Amino acid sequence: MKSIRFFLSIVILSTITIMAFLAALNGYNDSMASAEELFDTELVDKANLLAISYSVRPPETRISDIAKFDQIKESQQSEQYFAFQIWKNEKILLTSINAPQDAIAHFESGFHYKNFLNHRWRTYSQYNKKTNIWILTAERIDIRYVLAENIVLETIIPVVIMLPFLGLLIWTIITYGLSPLRNLAQELGDKRADDLTALSIENQPVELIQVVNSTNDLFERLKASFLREKRFSSDAAHELRTPISAIKIHLHNLSHLISEDEQSFIQLRSSVDRMGHLIEQILNLNRTSTEQYMSRFSTIDLYSLAQEVIASEYKHFAQKNLQISLEGDSNTINGDKFSLELLVQNLISNACKYTPESGEVLIKVYCNVGDIIFQIEDSGSGIPVDKYERLFDRFYRLDGDCHTSNTIGCGLGLAIVKQIVELHHAEIFLGQSSFKTGLMVRVVFSKEDLS
Amino acid sequence: MLLSSVIIVLREVLEAALLISILIALSKKTSLSAHWLIWSCLLGLSGAIVYGMNINNVSDWFDGVGQEVTNAFIQLLIYCMLVLYILILSRFLVHKNTFHFLTRLIMIIIVALAITREGTEIVLYFFSVTHSKTHLTAVVGMTIGASIGVSVGFLFYYLLNSLKLEQSIFIGLILLLLVSAGMVSQASLLLIQADWLPAQLPLWNSSAFISEKSVTGQLLYVLLGYESTPTALQVSLYVLAIIVPIGLMQVLNKVYPKKINLASL
Repeated sequence: MKSIRFFLSIVILSTITIMAFLAALNGYNDSMASAEELFDTELVDKANLLAISYSVRPPETRISDIAKFDQIKESQQSEQYFAFQIWKNEKILLTSINAPQDAIAHFESGFHYKNFLNHRWRTYSQYNKKTNIWILTAERIDIRYVLAENIVLETIIPVVIMLPFLGLLIWTIITYGLSPLRNLAQELGDKRADDLTALSIENQPVELIQVVNSTNDLFERLKASFLREKRFSSDAAHELRTPISAIKIHLHNLSHLISEDEQSFIQLRSSVDRMGHLIEQILNLNRTSTEQYMSRFSTIDLYSLAQEVIASEYKHFAQKNLQISLEGDSNTINGDKFSLELLVQNLISNACKYTPESGEVLIKVYCNVGDIIFQIEDSGSGIPVDKYERLFDRFYRLDGDCHTSNTIGCGLGLAIVKQIVELHHAEIFLGQSSFKTGLMVRVVFSKEDLS
Repeated sequence: MLLSSVIIVLREVLEAALLISILIALSKKTSLSAHWLIWSCLLGLSGAIVYGMNINNVSDWFDGVGQEVTNAFIQLLIYCMLVLYILILSRFLVHKNTFHFLTRLIMIIIVALAITREGTEIVLYFFSVTHSKTHLTAVVGMTIGASIGVSVGFLFYYLLNSLKLEQSIFIGLILLLLVSAGMVSQASLLLIQADWLPAQLPLWNSSAFISEKSVTGQLLYVLLGYESTPTALQVSLYVLAIIVPIGLMQVLNKVYPKKINLASL
């Protein structure tokens, strides 16, 4: 998964890190060189100071006195760090307390390096032609280096400490900068399937206007196409139902003219009924498809809905002498009345169709750990477990066209039921009924979706 | 002090970061998940701890050059694994099939070995400087070195990732080829230090142009095995290390030529 935020934050922070640290290292090198120059200048100054102070004092002064003076003047630490000698005619006139008896620098004007007292020293030699005096000054390189580094480090440490904060800042800024994109994504995600209203173009950044415009354009076209399809199905419904009603009237009229026991007449009536049923079911399937359905959810009592459907279907049960019972109590769900009625009606009429005469059908509506369950069982011949999945396919009928029951059916009932179940984010399960044989269908409306 | 700690940590981190970033980018391009990285990091870190804790014993091996020889051996092992990986990748470029298990295994070994070696160096350096007076400078230097190394790794990863499949694999192949030859060059240097290979006079001295002690020098050291004063032996081993995988690729292409798709004719 690529994230723009991660990409931008990491690339920007990495680039800044590299640049800032390279600059800091460069600065470090330059500062160390400058510090070196500064220390060298100091070494020269000290030599000059010594030259002046020596010329003021009489040359007879004994070494020990000067050493004492030196001790007072210099602190303990700088004693170790700084050393000097004054030579004349290869004789030592004056020396700092820490300096060895040998010359601490070359008798050659300028800067040099020399090792003594187990350390490496930076030395400076100054020669006064008039007085024939050599003034030698020296500073320990390691201490000089540490002193310089401590000063320079003060400028680098803030850069290092700043970096995590900079990272945080970059992350926050990018998060803020990308918020219009996130808002747009959220707005699109929150949209209901049937909500095709245009997105607001106000307050959108320039970069997103094209996206919003294209999306709105798409919505517009989608809406038009939905409307067209809806109009088509309602037109088709009307156009198909009218001739069938006409045929039925003619059939009724015909029944007065010829004997109703005539084989062709019976078959004709059965075919017309089947055709009517098929058209109704196709229209139902079309109406309840998720992409088409404009549901109007309200609170529905499943128990009383089941009662209503049983009452309307009761004549079919009575014809087959089936015993139908409804167990449970009032349980409400949030759903669409029309489609739920279709669901219950399809399941009940299926049970009625596939249960042999004098059989039993048991319907239960109950609540199980917050989930509302609608369950229907019959004492029919049942369905093999391996056929369960295929049952929800459109136009699928068990044993194909050689269906054993002589019932009207087109294989769309369970496909419609499945569609309505999906519409309500519910789940459907098939299983063995609690009777000796038969099918059990259970629809579970989960509590998350109910709330 | 600051510069030396920057250089020491940068060298190790950069090497591991480059290897990891190239391998992750390529495994993404060849549709492999990057879970192998967790395993190799865990293995590498435990390897670094074990190696670091036993460093005194290891150093005593082979008459006191155990550490150099072991490091050289690890480098050569990484080189062999990289050559295998390069061959698999070149196959992918031709046939578009990956040997998932084998590829993952090789990548785990490469990164685990790299982390073991680099990790040990960093840990040893860290413990040696924390006892010195100037440890603040060293810690700052290590932070800078590690940050630059990781940042370069990230940038390499995104660079390879932004390229088209063929381009990124081709560039990845070249980078890996150079890095692997660099491994051989480093290994040969270690073996020269251990007196296992003869020391020779350097062929040239380019430290005036690019010092090994600069950040650029370190980047080149990691990428190409750059050495400002290489010996003839090092240079020949380096060239050989590049020629061998290329030759093997040619042989593989001859033995298993690209199948011509009849449908496309």
